[in-house]
Amino acid sequence: MAAFVIRRLVWLPILLFFVSVITFALGLYGPGDPVQVMLGMHANPETIERLRHEYGFDQPFYIQYLNYVANALQGNFGYSLVKYRDQPVGVLIAEKLPATIQLNLVAILLGCAIGVPLGLVAGLKRDTWLDLVVRGIVVAGISFPIIFLNPVLTFIFSRRHEFTLAATNFTFSIGPFLPMVQGHWDGLFSPKIILPAFIESLGVIAVLTRQMRAGMIEVLSEDYIRTARAKGLRERVVVVRHAMRNALIPIATILGLMLGGLVAGSFLVENWFDVPGVGQLAFDALISRDYYVIMALTLLIAVAYILANLFVDVLYGFLDPRIRQS
Amino acid sequence: MSNSSETGNRWLLGIVVILVVALFGAICLGAAAVFMLTQAGSPAAPALGATAAPGRTSVVPTRAPATSGKKVLRLPGGSGGGGDPPTLDPALAGDAESAVYVAEIFSGLVTLDPNLKVQPDIAEKWDISEDRKTLTFYLRKEVKFQDGRPVTAQDFKYTIERAANPATASPTADTYLGDIVGVKDKLNRKAAEVSGVQVIDDYTLKITIDQPKAYFLAKLTFPTAYVVDKNNVERGGRTWTDRPNGTGPFKLKEYVRSQRIVLAKNENYYLEPKPQVDEVQFILGGGSFMTLYENGDLDSTRVFISDIERVSDPSSPLNKELFVGPELSTQFVVFNTRKPPFDDPKVRQAFALAIDRQKVVDVVFQKMPLVANSILPPGMPGYTEPGGKPPYDLAKAKQLLAESKYAGKLPDITWTTVGAGGAAAQDIQAMTAMIKDALGVNISIQQTDWATFIGQLNDPSRNPYQIFDIGWIADYADPQNFVEILFRTGSTQNWSAYSNPEADKILDQAGLEKDTATRFKLYQQVEQMILADFPVMPLTYSRQYWLTKPYVKGMIYPPMIIPRLKYVSLEK
Repeated sequence: MAAFVIRRLVWLPILLFFVSVITFALGLYGPGDPVQVMLGMHANPETIERLRHEYGFDQPFYIQYLNYVANALQGNFGYSLVKYRDQPVGVLIAEKLPATIQLNLVAILLGCAIGVPLGLVAGLKRDTWLDLVVRGIVVAGISFPIIFLNPVLTFIFSRRHEFTLAATNFTFSIGPFLPMVQGHWDGLFSPKIILPAFIESLGVIAVLTRQMRAGMIEVLSEDYIRTARAKGLRERVVVVRHAMRNALIPIATILGLMLGGLVAGSFLVENWFDVPGVGQLAFDALISRDYYVIMALTLLIAVAYILANLFVDVLYGFLDPRIRQS
Repeated sequence: MSNSSETGNRWLLGIVVILVVALFGAICLGAAAVFMLTQAGSPAAPALGATAAPGRTSVVPTRAPATSGKKVLRLPGGSGGGGDPPTLDPALAGDAESAVYVAEIFSGLVTLDPNLKVQPDIAEKWDISEDRKTLTFYLRKEVKFQDGRPVTAQDFKYTIERAANPATASPTADTYLGDIVGVKDKLNRKAAEVSGVQVIDDYTLKITIDQPKAYFLAKLTFPTAYVVDKNNVERGGRTWTDRPNGTGPFKLKEYVRSQRIVLAKNENYYLEPKPQVDEVQFILGGGSFMTLYENGDLDSTRVFISDIERVSDPSSPLNKELFVGPELSTQFVVFNTRKPPFDDPKVRQAFALAIDRQKVVDVVFQKMPLVANSILPPGMPGYTEPGGKPPYDLAKAKQLLAESKYAGKLPDITWTTVGAGGAAAQDIQAMTAMIKDALGVNISIQQTDWATFIGQLNDPSRNPYQIFDIGWIADYADPQNFVEILFRTGSTQNWSAYSNPEADKILDQAGLEKDTATRFKLYQQVEQMILADFPVMPLTYSRQYWLTKPYVKGMIYPPMIIPRLKYVSLEK
């Protein structure tokens, strides 16, 4: 197992090399450049030339890349060029990462808490009305675009609703039920996290429900379940001890992979709910061609996914002896 | 058999338990970290908190500051849309979002009043030499930086030298200070010092420019010329603006990126009126300012098109809190005169006549902007009311197209617009449909992102777009900023690649003209020449819509960035 892990870790720098070269090249050779965005409509050829020179963008690709790598290896991931001019990229990411991790954690937990039981019920009551309802909810949940849910849920839960009783002067208001961020992100234990985390969790719920349902259906048709029932075990024991446990294995794998996604922010949810996270940073960096921010975020997310994959592979080794032996 | 399956199940159970424990462990760790950080950020521990150092950029999510007894004005960030300012450095701020804060924290020799007239600021008065190339500024003696150090002429010299230093990488030094003798040489590393700025004594500064330019003084009202403190800049390193030491009516109290910017009043401010509110809190982000405003959590908010119908309805209570004002900007449909078929003025005119601008404004924009029929927007010095409505004449459009050299062999047209995929903006869809219907032209829409778009536009000699839409917002209140910058032969912002030697000649003449009224007449003359040639079709004059609570007094929404928060008071 140790050899396996080491072999996989050796791949890490190689993968990172490819990821970084491709991202760097896309940034450099893709359309638009940060100097143009910085200058906006006030550009003139002289200024563009001068700033490109100051930032070293007029040097050949390999020199720019090697400079970047040399600096990165010393922990300097460059400075923001456009959106947060002259702020070190490391500082920016360190500032934004906590909110994104908090949001994603709550979203994954909500997803588990809702998705697993839903899938379990749907699988057990396959092809009954209950199954149909669950599947309907799941399809609806992922089909509503986030861009639609954001304003609608905000309107319902975060706004003061005023009512005037007809024919009287009696006015009353209810809400807001959930506070908005208002420039103060308060972390995990604040009601401010509920709405964005719920919307983020819809995808998780969909994946987990479907996986859990499929898993239950598959496991319930296995021979050992028939055997267990034939032995006269109570149905509850069959379901909980024999079926559910096995159906949870792929769920564990999915959750393992999701750990990699903890550091990846969501453009739509973070921007709408003012969550000061990586998603906002990435969005701003992408539209303004803030090279170094994009590079660092891509590398961070790549590393997170590579490690999460490794974690899942190791986990599989434990779960499946055939992989362990090979 | 039951034995081996039991072992397998135990394994699985173990894994699941480990996973769950790990997940909970991670949550607890995260929670503990957040708890500690929020504790550290609360006022009880000033070492890390918001109250520690003025202008501290905090990584820590702090709790809402106590506002008891203080007069706090709560606004949406930037020019109303939220978001972080790209920079707070006057030498780097070229965009409206940054300038909103820079104009409050810093100040310069001259400023604009709410009527956009140039007024004395740190300079109490100035003389202009006989040849109109030398300006001598006399500084007020009572002006201090926010840390108490007096401002002298040396500070202005340092400010201009710094902005012109190529290592500063100022995007605006060329445009706003480039008229000063020696600035361009220093930017291009041909000189070590800006020869056109001389310190006569502590409170007298002489600036020499390359030619007489009536609009130069207006350029000095832009942030690039705002005075900065050498100690502050040099000791603060690259991120010195985390703790800026300015001279403006407000100082930076707190900046938590993507969350909020808090300005506090500068007790040492030297001009009247002095700031009347204690603090101004800007909420960054920007998901749902309207909801915050309606909940009473913001004192003023900008209204965007999705809420226009609601606030414009006279029976809505919000309508009484509505302010509508000009923005000094004109939106254009631009014809690239270098690209067929728009090299033929008749084709350009035909396209312009085929578009019903009034309908676009009424239906698509819900009357939010005004229909444009001139290059200069209303409110701009030199603007004259155009005679009559914008022309819309389908018969004439068809006739012009038939007379053009592309009659019967019009190539396919692509309209380029900034967009993020999906459906293009509705106004573009409407206008292309009008052209297609009226002229039978095969026209399609191509969307591109802003970075690509602006990159192509900034090189007019190679701009590949045939027809596109773009707006221009005034940098300084002078017609030259529109008429010359956008239409002079060879100007980078001459997007239509328009070239009219006769117009260029009059522009030269206008630049040298002493008398303002005559000068404006010359610009108007050029404007008429341009409009007759149709390199662009003026589409709309933008307007800004704001809601403000009745207890906020003195709030102004000038169409340009000026220090405006000192006029505001709260009566509640």
